[in-house]
Amino acid sequence: MDNKQYTDEKLNLFIDNELDDVEANELHEAMLQDPQIRERVCQLKAVRELVGFAYQSPPRSNYDRRVRSNSGRSMLWKGIAASLVLCLGIIVGWSTHQYGPSVIAGSTTASNVFSYYAEHAPSKNIGRNFILHLSTSDIGAVKAALDEADNLITSYKRSNTPLKIDIIANQRGIDVLRVDVSPYIDRIQKMVAENDAVTLFACERSIAKAKAREGRDIVVMPETVTNKTARELIPERLNDGWVYIKV
Amino acid sequence: MKIVESLVASFCLKQEFALRRNKLYQIAYSWCHDSTLADDLVQEAMYKAIKNRSKLRELSTLDSWLYRILINCWHDYLRVSGRHVELFDVRDDRIKDHSDMYQKLQIVDRVRSSIASLPMNLREVVTLADFAGFSYAQIAEIVDVPVGTVMSRLFRARQNLKEQLLDMSNDEAIQLKLRRVK
Repeated sequence: MDNKQYTDEKLNLFIDNELDDVEANELHEAMLQDPQIRERVCQLKAVRELVGFAYQSPPRSNYDRRVRSNSGRSMLWKGIAASLVLCLGIIVGWSTHQYGPSVIAGSTTASNVFSYYAEHAPSKNIGRNFILHLSTSDIGAVKAALDEADNLITSYKRSNTPLKIDIIANQRGIDVLRVDVSPYIDRIQKMVAENDAVTLFACERSIAKAKAREGRDIVVMPETVTNKTARELIPERLNDGWVYIKV
Repeated sequence: MKIVESLVASFCLKQEFALRRNKLYQIAYSWCHDSTLADDLVQEAMYKAIKNRSKLRELSTLDSWLYRILINCWHDYLRVSGRHVELFDVRDDRIKDHSDMYQKLQIVDRVRSSIASLPMNLREVVTLADFAGFSYAQIAEIVDVPVGTVMSRLFRARQNLKEQLLDMSNDEAIQLKLRRVK
């Protein structure tokens, strides 16, 4: 795939959803194949997110101040009503919560990843922690994830900033860590051997399910931690402020 | 009966305007970087919109119609004041520590400075696209230029911002990088 075939004008059209479906799909394929195209798209998206972010909180308008001062009492009642709704929501949410979108909501898109960075942008030499969540064994997606991990390691090393990456695999994603199945074993082993920052986790429950499904033991890489479920691992890291990247 | 319908329609339209006021203010601020001026521009745009509400053909075009009025107010202001290049001055007298808030302010200041350094026609287009979320066709209608011109302005604006904001190798202060795996 020729990186230069895609001009920045075209990539702009792509990120703004102004390409037709055929061209958008072609470009999407090209992104999967070519990290340079992916990087260029990411940079343009980053610029777009930055512009969007920069004016979300301009200095408050005078009109807004006047309106607020006139509506203090109604705001009180609105606040009480909102609190009641919130309490109700918490009760309902608590009684129905499951691992899945509700637990990791709001962290899966590029814009959210960016927002996280923007709000917690590190000063020099302050570390950053990432969860790379693999729930698929799709070759293209896994390759992109490993490229991503490599890029993170390289760029943080270059800036001499501490980094920690926990690769957490569940569902079909555990295949990536299976020694008899994964085409990426050598690459992952090298990554772990060369970087203390990287830790591998395979969901205990997903391993049990795969074992029941296949009727044989599931053998994962020896470096892999397997005594916890993804349901336990991911939320506890999110609570500690880790950046979540879903593959 | 027609009078009642007209009154109801007028009331509804004013409600629609009010709902959009904050976004209009944000966009106006992104162009002029002056909260008082942004307020004035929005006020004037709202006044003109209410006065000329009969010219609005369809409610579905309300957004682009309102923003077009706003940008005309802005251009009128520039014409009258003769200010085609604005100085950008963000005063930050808050505590300069390394808290998350300060980091956030640093980023915002830096991005706003970069946007302020753009020529006005690029600034308008990039904020309408990236902040207000308009399509190319809508921006063409608001700014009153062909879609091709919108594309080229957007391209130049983003190239410029990319060079200013994402050149990590030359940047010691803030390290930003968008990551996406999908």
